Amino acid sequence: MLKPILLVEDNPNDLELTLVALARSQLANEVVVVRDGAEALDYLLRRGEFAERPEGNPAVTLLDLKLPKVDGLEVLATIRKTDSLKSMPVVMLTSSKEEQDLITSYSLGVNAYVVKPVDFKDFLRAIADLGMFWAVLNEPPPGSFRYTPPK
Amino acid sequence: MSLQKGQAAIASKTCPFVPALHCAENAGPVSHRPLPFTLEYCFCNPAVPAPRLMTPPSSAPLDLSGCDREPIRTPGSIQPHGFLLTLAPDGQVLQASANLARWTGVDAEAACGRPLAQVIGLDAAERLLPALTNGSLGNRPFYLGTITAGNGAHFDALGHVWDSVTVLECEAVERAEAPDFRNLYPLLGDFLLNVNETQSVESLATLAAHHVRMVTGFGRVMVYQFDRDGHGHVMAESKEEAYHSYMGQRFPATDIPAQARELYALSRIRLIQDANYVPAPLVPAENPVTGARNDLSFAALRSVSPVHLQYMRNMGTLASMSVSLMVKGKLWGLISCHNETPCPLAFEKRTACEQLGQVLALCIESREDATELQFRLEVRRMMVAMLGNLTKGADVIENMSGVFPELLRFARAGGVAVVTDERVLTWGDTPDARAIGELVTWLETEGHGTEIYHTDQLSAAYPGGAAITRNASGLLAMPISRLHKHYLLWFRPEVVHTIEWAGNPHEKEGMPTPTQLSPRTSFATWREVIHGVSQPWHVAEIELTGEFRSALLGIALERAEQMAELAEELGRANKELEAFSYSVSHDLRAPLRHIVGFSDLLLESAGSEDTTMRQRFLTNIKESARLAGKLVDDLLSFSQMGRAALRPVEVDMSKLLASCIDKLSLDTAGRNIEWDVAPLPRITADPTFLHLAVQNLLSNAVKFSGGRDPARIRIWSEQDEHETVFHVADNGAGFNMEYVHKLFGVFQRLHRMEDFQGTGIGLANVRRIVERHGGRAWADSTLGQGATFSFSIPRKLAL
Repeated sequence: MLKPILLVEDNPNDLELTLVALARSQLANEVVVVRDGAEALDYLLRRGEFAERPEGNPAVTLLDLKLPKVDGLEVLATIRKTDSLKSMPVVMLTSSKEEQDLITSYSLGVNAYVVKPVDFKDFLRAIADLGMFWAVLNEPPPGSFRYTPPK
Repeated sequence: MSLQKGQAAIASKTCPFVPALHCAENAGPVSHRPLPFTLEYCFCNPAVPAPRLMTPPSSAPLDLSGCDREPIRTPGSIQPHGFLLTLAPDGQVLQASANLARWTGVDAEAACGRPLAQVIGLDAAERLLPALTNGSLGNRPFYLGTITAGNGAHFDALGHVWDSVTVLECEAVERAEAPDFRNLYPLLGDFLLNVNETQSVESLATLAAHHVRMVTGFGRVMVYQFDRDGHGHVMAESKEEAYHSYMGQRFPATDIPAQARELYALSRIRLIQDANYVPAPLVPAENPVTGARNDLSFAALRSVSPVHLQYMRNMGTLASMSVSLMVKGKLWGLISCHNETPCPLAFEKRTACEQLGQVLALCIESREDATELQFRLEVRRMMVAMLGNLTKGADVIENMSGVFPELLRFARAGGVAVVTDERVLTWGDTPDARAIGELVTWLETEGHGTEIYHTDQLSAAYPGGAAITRNASGLLAMPISRLHKHYLLWFRPEVVHTIEWAGNPHEKEGMPTPTQLSPRTSFATWREVIHGVSQPWHVAEIELTGEFRSALLGIALERAEQMAELAEELGRANKELEAFSYSVSHDLRAPLRHIVGFSDLLLESAGSEDTTMRQRFLTNIKESARLAGKLVDDLLSFSQMGRAALRPVEVDMSKLLASCIDKLSLDTAGRNIEWDVAPLPRITADPTFLHLAVQNLLSNAVKFSGGRDPARIRIWSEQDEHETVFHVADNGAGFNMEYVHKLFGVFQRLHRMEDFQGTGIGLANVRRIVERHGGRAWADSTLGQGATFSFSIPRKLAL
């Protein structure tokens, strides 16, 4: 079974557009959606409402930079500090190309940094490429758990 | 003997030896030649080893050393053109001058111990005794009247009390009556009239010299002024044609020893009417009351040194008079009069001269005051103008280069330099940067780093000064930082000038030791070329430089404080600006992207039957557009909040709150909201800003209590002597205290967009408004159980 893609997105419009794009990429991976940084960490660390989810990391986490409560950079930092998560691919998916954000993201160990294109066709292609690369072409780190989809 | 040296010293200034030049031209037999004035110079200079110039061709050998210790006030004798008596309080004669018999027929020895009447006759004594014994006399000679003695001789009688005795001086006159002053009035009147029309000190002095000559009939009258080093300078002269001119010449300060200057300051006039006089000693020689030689400081007949008399004779000046010019309590200069032949000068004419001198001194004082004031005003005006320019930019030192021409004028300098740690900026004619750097290092090591330093002869103090005398003979150095080696330096160029000394003031040093006072071989004016000296710095320039410095340091200090404040302010503004631009790239781009995305989706779905989906796309587009507009509005109001000036007035918070609630009616329509508003105080604040803050808080409370029925919103306040605190509590969604630090940040949201709409600017605005008032904003909440937002406004606004 394919590992899921974790999408961390607070904005409902962005969420809908991203889901449309992922759907059109014809990826088979399941997309797990969480709506803020705190929720993302809960999911990844299997705590709170996600305490019962099956073990295993997503194939990739698509992380928005600006999130309520805990922002994307904090989530990234926590991921890289957590043994069970630190090898997981994380892609920043954001509106901003602020230099400081880029620098911080890379210094925190992000795998890719993607600025959401304003043009919708470009956006579709970017999301499709992302999904294809990380979920299909990229070899996940060894020792990843196989993913078991929820019942 | 030593007294006489002293007198000689006085003589030197009274009749400058320069006259020697004139005399030399008519040099007669060697013994008649004038004494070299350098001798006089030596007399008066204690630093010089005793010149051992001895035995002038006069009767007594002279010890010429130590002029400045000379007791010139106690010569023990008088000039013989009158007689002098000292009297007990009851009028009994204590002492008489030895020439008493010459004038009255009464022997001096016989006079002592007698009543006054037995000495000068009954009539004269009766006339004078009341004034002499009633305690009305002062300590300067006072004209008591013209008397006729028992032998029929006429005298002007002068009385004063000094040295514990009453001194009666009687000067022989031809007339039996009091002098007629009428002929003097026009002369004095003319002088006074002209004084008002004369502006410069020089022309005033020339005018005075002329009038003194008219009054006295002396052949030459000079006015000379002492410079700050005490050297005399002839600045005005009036003379008969046959007399040699001394205009412009200088006399070394040492010509007049300290005790002579002191006496000149006290006693304003002295006269030697015939240098060929034979002094008349007092009998007995000592004052019976004090047991010491009489202090004749103020006696009109006071005798002077035999050396001086011989000197006058040698010069062919047989009469001399000098009048002190006292300006602001200091000996400013002298009016000095010479005549080739003896020249008696009665009391009333001397008085007239004395008064001329006083008027001249007063005029000089007022002219100098006016000049000084004018000068100071001008310098101050320049200083103020400069300070104005210096404060225009941020960096005071940087600005200095912008006012270089003014700086130059301010100190009447030839060059100016601003020296900082990193660089040397110069303007005008200055030494090069390296030389300036070395100079500053020297100033530091000499401890001139904290105060203003000035010199008009830098090379005399600073070893490196000799190399830069051309443009830096004068230096005025102003340290302009308490912390750094920063200086403002003014340079004045060398002014090579020639001083015409009335004799070589340095000659004493190399003079062979003569065994006898001998005539000088040459009496030519001695010219000295002065190098390495600049125009002196004016006292006002130095003082105002001090003021300038204080002002600069003040500005720098204030500037530093402002900068610190500004840095803080800028730091805050910068943070907000960063957040602003961040959100422009982030938050503003998002709705745009959404509009584009959903529009494309809408277009794609053109043929689709799914109207619900198409409806949703349309709604999304509309919402995104609306959000983008609101973002722009909120951002603008937020940035405005930081710029607009606060206009605090008294605000009735109850009314303000009511109006805010009223405004929310659209949002609250159909909602069940229980408002619980406590009475609120009146405070001082900007009503517009405060309205916005309260509106934001209430709007939040309404928004986040959206799920409650009823929603309860409570508003109340607390007040102490420092501040008023307002609270807005709701029973809504609340927030996790873990994220409370993000609550008041720009574009921070703790909730999902679809749960609670908002741009993330509202609370940032509240904090900004409250902080501009000097207050604080904070919040407290338990997730799911509502939140309390609070802010404080100080009772006294520090704006």
